[in-house]
Amino acid sequence: MTTYIIRRILLLFPTLLGITLLTFFLIRLAPGNAALLKGGGGENGARAMTAEQREATIKLYGLDKPAYVAYADWAWRIVRLDLGESITDHRSVAAKIGERLPLTISLAGSALILSYLIAIPLGIAAALKRGQFRDRAISFTVFVLYSIPSFVAALLLILFVAGGDYLDLLPMYGINSIDASEMGTFRWLGDRVLHMILPVICLTYASLASISRYARVSMLEALGQDFVRTARAKGLPERLVIFRHALRNALIPVITVFALELPVLIGGAVIIESIFTLPGMGQLMLQALEARDEPVIMGVTTLAAVVTLLGYLLADILYVVVDPRISYE
Amino acid sequence: MKTPAVTHETYLNRLWRRFEADRFARYGLRMVILLFIVAALAPFLANNHALIRVADGRITFPIFLSLEPIEWRFLLYLPLAALIYFFRRHVLEHAGFSLCVVLAAVAMVEIVLAISHPVNDPSNDRDRPASFKLLPPIAYSPVESTPDQFAPPSWKHLCGTDSTGRDIAARMLHGARISLSIGFVSQSIALLIGIALGGTAGYYRGWFDIAVSRFIEIIECFPSLLLILVAISLFESQNTMFYIMLVIGLTSWTGMARLVRGEFLRLSSQQFTYAAQAVGAGDARVILRHLLPNALGPILVTVTFGIASAILIESSLSFLGFGMQAPTPSWGDILSESRRYIDFAWWLAFFPGLAILVTIMSYNFVGEGLRDAVDPRLRIK
Repeated sequence: MTTYIIRRILLLFPTLLGITLLTFFLIRLAPGNAALLKGGGGENGARAMTAEQREATIKLYGLDKPAYVAYADWAWRIVRLDLGESITDHRSVAAKIGERLPLTISLAGSALILSYLIAIPLGIAAALKRGQFRDRAISFTVFVLYSIPSFVAALLLILFVAGGDYLDLLPMYGINSIDASEMGTFRWLGDRVLHMILPVICLTYASLASISRYARVSMLEALGQDFVRTARAKGLPERLVIFRHALRNALIPVITVFALELPVLIGGAVIIESIFTLPGMGQLMLQALEARDEPVIMGVTTLAAVVTLLGYLLADILYVVVDPRISYE
Repeated sequence: MKTPAVTHETYLNRLWRRFEADRFARYGLRMVILLFIVAALAPFLANNHALIRVADGRITFPIFLSLEPIEWRFLLYLPLAALIYFFRRHVLEHAGFSLCVVLAAVAMVEIVLAISHPVNDPSNDRDRPASFKLLPPIAYSPVESTPDQFAPPSWKHLCGTDSTGRDIAARMLHGARISLSIGFVSQSIALLIGIALGGTAGYYRGWFDIAVSRFIEIIECFPSLLLILVAISLFESQNTMFYIMLVIGLTSWTGMARLVRGEFLRLSSQQFTYAAQAVGAGDARVILRHLLPNALGPILVTVTFGIASAILIESSLSFLGFGMQAPTPSWGDILSESRRYIDFAWWLAFFPGLAILVTIMSYNFVGEGLRDAVDPRLRIK
């Protein structure tokens, strides 16, 4: 087990190297650079600065070095856990990410937890009535939800329940009301929760489909196992058969699919944060892309890749921990 | 010698029979076909030129004069497509795989050619006097600004108008071309890469297999929307439709490669493969004639879901403002504009949103039906 985990952790590094190399060279291959954008970008940007100024700016940001040297510099800094500083405002990338990370984590985390809490009962309810009306109704509804793009759902929700000409139940965008600084702790918290309801709903409902489908298939598989038949044969009440014997075994593969949801949630957060103008990682990424802020783009993508990789690793380890029958020795 | 009277059912025939038995899959497929027809006919359904115009004793066909041949050549393929659809059983039985590949390739080239033609003919022929004229059902061009700004849906503008008075219905009809072709072309690219890499990895195994598998893992660990955003936003000046198709295709082949590799690993150790190799078939022949047709079912399933997700990605990109340059109308584009007027102009968000939803759902239903047809054990009933 320990050797397996160590081997998996060691394998993370070549993967990370590949991902960062890919991103870095993509940025370098693209025409133009951040130094030109400082002057306003395009033709005007080129004219706004003198040639010396431009040279100096390019040198300052290390844009004059060949890509492989620049990548080596960047990688060496990363090894020392230094993400560099942003080109746009010269603040450290770590600090910029640090102030935005909590929001995105709370957003994605609550969406993930919520979708598990709803999807597992749904999947089990469907599996217990296999092929009957309830199963088909649940599968169909979840399937339709899965097909709605999150930004369409977000726009329609804003339109019909947040402001606009219809219901005005929830705030339209932002993380707090304008007068949030004057509120007491509890009112502030309530205000924050109100602002989070719509974004979390939009991130949650799409994950419902894959998780509940997984839960359903996994439950069906467990119900078909010999030990379930044995439990029934020895006269256990159906409730105990389902909840004590089948459910516990059915949950094992379902727990581990959270890793598959991580990239989906990260992509979803970019869109949702943009719609609801939430100052999270997604918004940071979009701003950095617009400004060609190389260190920030690299920092955010590396972080996203690390989170995804660790998610996969954790899922594989959990798989062994919760099911002693599986062994990687 | 008389052939024995056994019912001969090919793999594709069996797939089709199981697929047809699924109601939602059938509806999904009809919807997809309808969308394709609408997209193909968009210039004739939404145009500010008359279809037929009679003036001064002369009959003219202004629409045809305003369009390039490349844009209406499409029409010639519709009867052919209909013919194939009605004789699908015979086509599948007698021609099968190779004909499908050839037809798909031809259709794809035609579609791409037709829709890559930019709509930029703002000349207005609609209001010219005539003794008789037959206007298209939506008598507006997608790039034409009318004086009615923010008109809510009415008989005049079925889906309303936007901030510059452009007819949303016309823009949506033309936007359908972009969504459908992006899905189709990008997944063809993904299919080619996936079969080439996954197929060789699964067939030859060894170090190449290990290298490909690691590479797939690297790409899959990356939140694909981020990678696409980086690739699209940095090369903004080249944001043509083809570049977006290429980027989506280049980032979405991993699922296909993984699937083809797995199928080939499984199939290449089966008796029929050994038999083919024993009679002296070369690697290319074994792969193309024996392995690939046997893996066709799961490949089709993956392609169908891939198209749905490519359409979703394209509309997300346009929505975030990284899509194609104006004035090309795209569903995500209309939605993106709607954000600014969301508190009163509901039609700007509702109709394109519905269009994206219906398209993605139809493809998902087709994919779902195909999956059940390929592997009936997964079926609900």
